[in-house]
Amino acid sequence: MLLSEVGYARPAGVEEAVRLLAQNDGARPLAGGQTIVNVMKARAAAPDVLVDLADLDELRAIGSTADGGLSLGAMATYTQVITSAEVKAARPVLADVAAQIADVQVRNRGTVGGNVCSNDPTNHLPPVLVAAGATMTIVGLEGERTVPAEEFFLGVYMTAVGPGELLTAITLPPLGEAGDGFSAITIGADGTCIVNAAATVQGDEARVALGCVSATPALVTARAEEGAVREAVRGAGLEPPSDVHGSADYRRHLAEIVAVRAVAAAGEGG
Amino acid sequence: MEPVTSQRIGVTVNGALHEREVEARRLLVHLIRDDLGLTGTHVGCDTGNCGACTVLLDGAAVKSCMLLAVQADGATIETVESLAQEGDLHPLQQAFSDHHALQCGYCTPGMLMSAKHLLDHNAEPTENEIRRAIQGNICRCTGYVNIVEAIAAVAKGEVSA
Amino acid sequence: MSTTNATTAAPEQVEAPQKGFAGQSVPRKEDKRLVQGQGVFVDDVRRHEVGYVHFVRSPYAHAAIANIDVSAALELEGVYGALIGEEVAALTDPFFQLSVPPGSEIKDYALAVGKVRHLGDPVAVVAARTRELARDAAELVEVEYEPLPVVVDPERALDEDAAVLHEDAGTNLVWSGAFDWGDFDTALAEADRVVRIERLHFDRFSSTPLETSGALVEYDRGTAQWTLHANNQFPGFAIIMMGPALRTGMDKLRFVSQDIGGAFGNKICTHPQLVALCLLARKLNRPVQWTEWRTDQHTGNSHGNERVFLDVEVPVKADGTMLGFRCKAVDDCGAYSRYEPLGCIIWAQVTPGLYRWRNVHIDFSQVCTNKSPCGPNRGYSRMQHLWFTERVIDIVAHELDLDPVEIRKLNYIKAEEMPYETPNGCVYDSGDYARCLDMALDLIGYGSIEEKRQDAQSRGKLLGVGIGSTLDSGTNNFGQSQLLNPDLQFSGNNEVASVKLDIFGEVVVTLGTTPQGQSHETVASQVVSDILGVTPDDVHVRAGHDSYWNSHAGFSGTYASQFAVTGLGAVSGATELLADQIRRLAAVILGADGPDAIVLDGGFAKLRDNPEAALPFMACGAIVNANNAGLPPELDDVTLNCRYVYKPPFQVPDKERKFGNLTLTYATQIHACVVEVDPATGVYEIVDYAAVDDCGNRIHPQIVEGQVHGAAAHGLGAAMFETFSYDEDGTLLTSNFYDYHVPHALDMPPLKTGAIESPSPFTSLGTKGMGEGGGAGIHSVCAAIQDALRPAGNAIVTDSHNPYHRVWDLLRAPEASRALVKVEQR
Repeated sequence: MLLSEVGYARPAGVEEAVRLLAQNDGARPLAGGQTIVNVMKARAAAPDVLVDLADLDELRAIGSTADGGLSLGAMATYTQVITSAEVKAARPVLADVAAQIADVQVRNRGTVGGNVCSNDPTNHLPPVLVAAGATMTIVGLEGERTVPAEEFFLGVYMTAVGPGELLTAITLPPLGEAGDGFSAITIGADGTCIVNAAATVQGDEARVALGCVSATPALVTARAEEGAVREAVRGAGLEPPSDVHGSADYRRHLAEIVAVRAVAAAGEGG
Repeated sequence: MEPVTSQRIGVTVNGALHEREVEARRLLVHLIRDDLGLTGTHVGCDTGNCGACTVLLDGAAVKSCMLLAVQADGATIETVESLAQEGDLHPLQQAFSDHHALQCGYCTPGMLMSAKHLLDHNAEPTENEIRRAIQGNICRCTGYVNIVEAIAAVAKGEVSA
Repeated sequence: MSTTNATTAAPEQVEAPQKGFAGQSVPRKEDKRLVQGQGVFVDDVRRHEVGYVHFVRSPYAHAAIANIDVSAALELEGVYGALIGEEVAALTDPFFQLSVPPGSEIKDYALAVGKVRHLGDPVAVVAARTRELARDAAELVEVEYEPLPVVVDPERALDEDAAVLHEDAGTNLVWSGAFDWGDFDTALAEADRVVRIERLHFDRFSSTPLETSGALVEYDRGTAQWTLHANNQFPGFAIIMMGPALRTGMDKLRFVSQDIGGAFGNKICTHPQLVALCLLARKLNRPVQWTEWRTDQHTGNSHGNERVFLDVEVPVKADGTMLGFRCKAVDDCGAYSRYEPLGCIIWAQVTPGLYRWRNVHIDFSQVCTNKSPCGPNRGYSRMQHLWFTERVIDIVAHELDLDPVEIRKLNYIKAEEMPYETPNGCVYDSGDYARCLDMALDLIGYGSIEEKRQDAQSRGKLLGVGIGSTLDSGTNNFGQSQLLNPDLQFSGNNEVASVKLDIFGEVVVTLGTTPQGQSHETVASQVVSDILGVTPDDVHVRAGHDSYWNSHAGFSGTYASQFAVTGLGAVSGATELLADQIRRLAAVILGADGPDAIVLDGGFAKLRDNPEAALPFMACGAIVNANNAGLPPELDDVTLNCRYVYKPPFQVPDKERKFGNLTLTYATQIHACVVEVDPATGVYEIVDYAAVDDCGNRIHPQIVEGQVHGAAAHGLGAAMFETFSYDEDGTLLTSNFYDYHVPHALDMPPLKTGAIESPSPFTSLGTKGMGEGGGAGIHSVCAAIQDALRPAGNAIVTDSHNPYHRVWDLLRAPEASRALVKVEQR
């Protein structure tokens, strides 16, 4: 419940934030704090320095991209995503999913960047962004680079953001004729996910990203029809964890079901 | 700028500015309870799940155990102690009492702040919206039945404070 | 010893007697401070120079302690000191054990001595200038552990090769005994069918009050007096355990509390931590403050009892009348027996459940395992047993294709049979179970349930209805402890209150109880008002408990559903004494014939025949306290400060037959639950829910209903989400609110309530203790799930805890559960 001693800095701009992150191996970004503060309370991790991104207003912007897609600043909170007209117009699934995360207090502070960079396998946004084919913008001392969402998630709590780097934005392509869907089985209403799945369906083809079943979202593609989706999920060779909320078998079973439901929801939306 | 392990912060709490030297690791809830002596805000868990520590920060309901005090530098905070005005209870407080929406009272301050946040942003909430608004506030005594009733009564203007 | 007074007529459904304030839902006195955040909970109490403490706890479920080194911790700037198990063993005696040998040989100290026996077992405690420093210091304490084999399965705890937790006892057996009433063998012979159930399991969980345990402990060297501002809910018990351990007198341990943030039995067995704090406060000569963190509560504080019922046999007649049951029961009390083995007898308050079952045999044993120690969690021991009786009747009905409503009504004890003596001599005072059941079914629209089932089916869901009947037995006869250990010197029960007119006539009430949300101040004021002819606003009830200054008796505290009987018994007794004294004083002052000529009304003592002649309470108080010269000698004993000890009329039970009345009152709760199960996933939702209670005369109906809501929520939480789950290494997998999910606002179903009042013939106010709720939520959810699964494999629910994955297992492999039940036709 009580943190170890930690250094704290609150830079005014992205460049300074990156500098602070780069100059100390044990430095970590502090976004909404809804994950990292808990981790530090449990003393499961003890960063040396927290770089508070609160003053980086440029990272809070939500807007349209030139091709009609959506750009989310990494510091946009779930509440901002839920209430954003741009999100509703461009990729409404993000608002629907953000509205299912935890509770009002967490949504007022928690950020999209935090959700993806912590990459807890039970998080909501990583599967959504993988299914949607999003692009992640990372800034480091050397400048800016982009990584497709499919390559961004590397392991439990590990992403392509390296030491001295900062995720600054998430960009989603325009929805066009496609549809997005999401389905989850949770521990209690709006609770932690036991399994989840996000689907983006374009015409006949579904991209389905499964969460909670492996260290990173598991992406399968299939014809957008129940039997094909189930077969694709079964063929993915999933080795989900067993824990008090469900065995590996149960998660494998649920994965098929939420995949089908996500695809169906995408069909309704598109 | 270089990282510091403690710094002087200024936080406006219930309308009064407080300046304190705090360790960077100090949680906001401990600043409020221990350093400022406002013990109405409570601690009920250690994973940010229970909401007993809920306060309004710049008008938004947040869990003060999931914020460092230093993050609140320059912010405006309202705790349960801000609700009653010169001895007159806030309509939410009156409604909670009228509807027996509290038994042990431990979740109540956090519950009231979440309810206030709801009604500040949504004057006519549905029952589902009320439940969503307090979804981050655990109560082990009441089963939430009377809490939802009390908030609904205030929304409908049925409560005189 | 006990007699059964059969009443010839069914007790009337009585409206709450409108004597005045009793029976009305008056505004709560507690609210004004609590809604403003002005309550004083234990972590709100402040002292200068306090040392904040952190307990160093074992990461192993079972290990020898090879070495503890606190030197690095003590070197940290701001650390005031530490305490380890060795010191505790030198300075204190082990806590008194309630059991007979071998359980009596268990050595339980404030900190682990020599070995640790559960994850979270405290081995040291450190104190420092700030909370954070105490936590830092704890990390610097070096403990060398030598891990030992772990026992987590209570059914394996007595195996030959099972690791033994307490070497002094030489076994993991805490207590065992046989309970035998009626004639089960004859019942078996007379049965038309015998239903056999191999195994039923009541899972481990707790009510996890939102406020964790805590204390601020001060030691005064001059008087060798400890003052504990603590949220312990049963100071009577704590003092009896702590005094001898600390080698000090009872009066040297002063317990103070004002507001307690829920307890539900979870705050009874904190005496080990409190003893550690007492030693540390004395050693450091400074106040020490402990706040239990949530994870500490889950790993180191009380869990509810886990219980397995094995080889259950139920003889049944053709018409569905059940004749009794026989089974083995194994209770898992965790690593230490602190309130145990009382759980081995307390279930016997409700031996036949709500049913007219006369022939019972249980071979009962309680064992230690490497899990957190148990405490008397809400519903304590009766809940586990009533879940068992409800599973039995539900499974029998299910397997014999009998209507679940009709079979209950057939077997229920009838209203006209009350008071009813059970096979082991407990007397159920009153109740109308069939009526409550009808009301509950009505509230969930049982009449149209088949339509609802069709509708659910059209949406691909399986609908199920379940009934959960339960009793809240209240006001314990602690003599039941002698049925476990004939040498124990505990029996009966008591509670104390004092009521006075203060110097200017204020009415002041002091309670011996320790309320944690049960509204004692309010309810006491209602009863006092009616006797004295004042209003609740005129009655000042001291908030909280102070064992130094309060009326305080051996069993004082708030636990086990009894305030409405014991607390109010004491309050009304004291107030009647005061009222009598006021009348006697007024009679003399006003020149009346005697006290019968005086009535108390509106804060005045008036002549019945001439109400104009009135003496205000203010004058009464002033005369006796400040102006008493010249009063006649017959008023020498009129002090206007009256203390009363309420003592329920109990006898020591018959130890040979294990027979006698163990509780004074029995409140009823009947719940009905409607679930919809998704057969594809096992995910289910409670779509309708009703709870009907009967706690006799309700002093404050709104408060009673609030307790019913809360008890239902605890039951639903335990059925659907809450479990203290351990892996085979004894690691607790649900050690915080992230993994241990409790119901939040969106998890609760629509909750409908109803009430009737069958007054208790055994209490002065016709009230009964209520509030624990007996786990009806668990019973009804289990029954509803089993009903829903009929067309999808017809599985049997044999576990109290049914998260989605377990329901899916029942859907996927129903034969596993079906194999546990056999029906023998005779």
